[in-house]
Amino acid sequence: MKCRLFLVALCSLMSLLVAPKLIASTEIVSTEEVDSQTQETAISYLNKMKQAYTQLNYELVYLNTAQNQIEPKRLIHGVVDGKRIAYFSFLNGAMRETLQFDGKISFYQQGNQAYSFATQRDQSIFANIANFDFVKGNKSYEYIVIGKGRIAGKKAIAIRMVSKDNYRYSYIVWLDLNSYLPLRLDVINKSNLILEQTMVVSLITSDQINPWLKQLSTQTKPEVLHLVTATAKVAQWDVDWLPKGFEIVKGDQHKLMMHDTDPVSYIMLDDGISLVSIYISNVKTRLAEQQRVIKRGGTLIYTKQQDNVEVNIIGQIPLETAERIAASIKPVR
Amino acid sequence: MKEYSQNLSSFIDNENDDKDIINKVLEDAELQQQFSRYQLIGDVLRDESNGLDLRVDITDSVMAAIENEKQDDNVVTLPQKKDKKVVPFMKRFGQYAIAASVAGVVVVSSLMINQETSSDPSVVPVLNTVPFGGTAAPVSLQATPKQTQHDIKERNERLDALLKDHQLQLQTQP
Repeated sequence: MKCRLFLVALCSLMSLLVAPKLIASTEIVSTEEVDSQTQETAISYLNKMKQAYTQLNYELVYLNTAQNQIEPKRLIHGVVDGKRIAYFSFLNGAMRETLQFDGKISFYQQGNQAYSFATQRDQSIFANIANFDFVKGNKSYEYIVIGKGRIAGKKAIAIRMVSKDNYRYSYIVWLDLNSYLPLRLDVINKSNLILEQTMVVSLITSDQINPWLKQLSTQTKPEVLHLVTATAKVAQWDVDWLPKGFEIVKGDQHKLMMHDTDPVSYIMLDDGISLVSIYISNVKTRLAEQQRVIKRGGTLIYTKQQDNVEVNIIGQIPLETAERIAASIKPVR
Repeated sequence: MKEYSQNLSSFIDNENDDKDIINKVLEDAELQQQFSRYQLIGDVLRDESNGLDLRVDITDSVMAAIENEKQDDNVVTLPQKKDKKVVPFMKRFGQYAIAASVAGVVVVSSLMINQETSSDPSVVPVLNTVPFGGTAAPVSLQATPKQTQHDIKERNERLDALLKDHQLQLQTQP
């Protein structure tokens, strides 16, 4: 009998021990708040990446893969007197180099004359992701820390940027936990298929800028080319529907660069990560079908012919987006 | 037996000092085992086991098993004949490796030739439309029976022009 009493006492004691935990677990804020907390940690990591990518001295060797093509490339980045300088080169094949510094981007290619363009937009490999406004982008993307791993010999953390709709691709960004520099970027579609991948294989950071890069900054750059081909300042066409987060950043009529063609109406869209070009012109060669789609990695070339109008959309967007944009194009009144 | 279990339990809880039980326990091996089990349960419940090893002691049986195994000890040395067989196999393997590396050289050199011929020599002042650090996107349209060769060529040129323009628009974006 006494032994039973003992057991009862024991059971009640046990339940008392467990109870506080149960109470605590119900008290831990609602799931929504937990979500916003994880969002904040993810955003703080991403913002650290932004800072590291634009402010550190580093050298990245990386590979791009899109549909079985792999090309090794190198990016050397540094800061000279508060100004960023980035040197990029292909490691295989003919020498192709690019230098971006002080509002200019210069292209050097074996056997061709070097030239420059005036631009402030960072055009290095991770720039689109690294320069994204993550807080504002919260409307289009959800950020989730999905785990830790190892890339290029570094401890890395993976953050998933999940698109809230089907009109843009999602991304997985891997960051070095030490320097917060990006180590890997996957472009994924809504069925979680990796369309394109950029993978760093070697990362070297330094306190001082690479001396050679510093010397490059003092060299005279090739002449700046002004490709003025615009024949009108506004496009003859209007886009009625845009996916959330996208804005029209440019609209004009111009001859296609390097081709002496009839002017086309041109509209550029930007959502902070991908830039999309829309070309509207008369039909030149009639296609067998009304629509034509070419995909390579995450980049899409979408062609639609209707009556005598041809719309071409080029950019890193899913087909649904291109179709809907194309369907909403109307002549300007 | 059952009644003794009950009594044993209360005895362990210091609630019974009946000599009869003590004697009974001292006589009965089964009860002794039960006594030690009860004590152990009590210890664990009161968290007084102090890392007491609850595992069953299997050293004896393992040692016994090892004793038995020892009989097979003298089978360690391999017969000499086997060594002779290994050598020709290694030789052949080496030949395979060389053949494979030759194939590797062929692939590499053909790649280099391809790279040299792939750059387009026809247009003289070329603007590099490959994205800065990105990937180029060569495009070509597949033939459908309704289209003539000329149409396809024209279409490909058009796509090429659009793609180059797109890249240049990105590069010159302020």
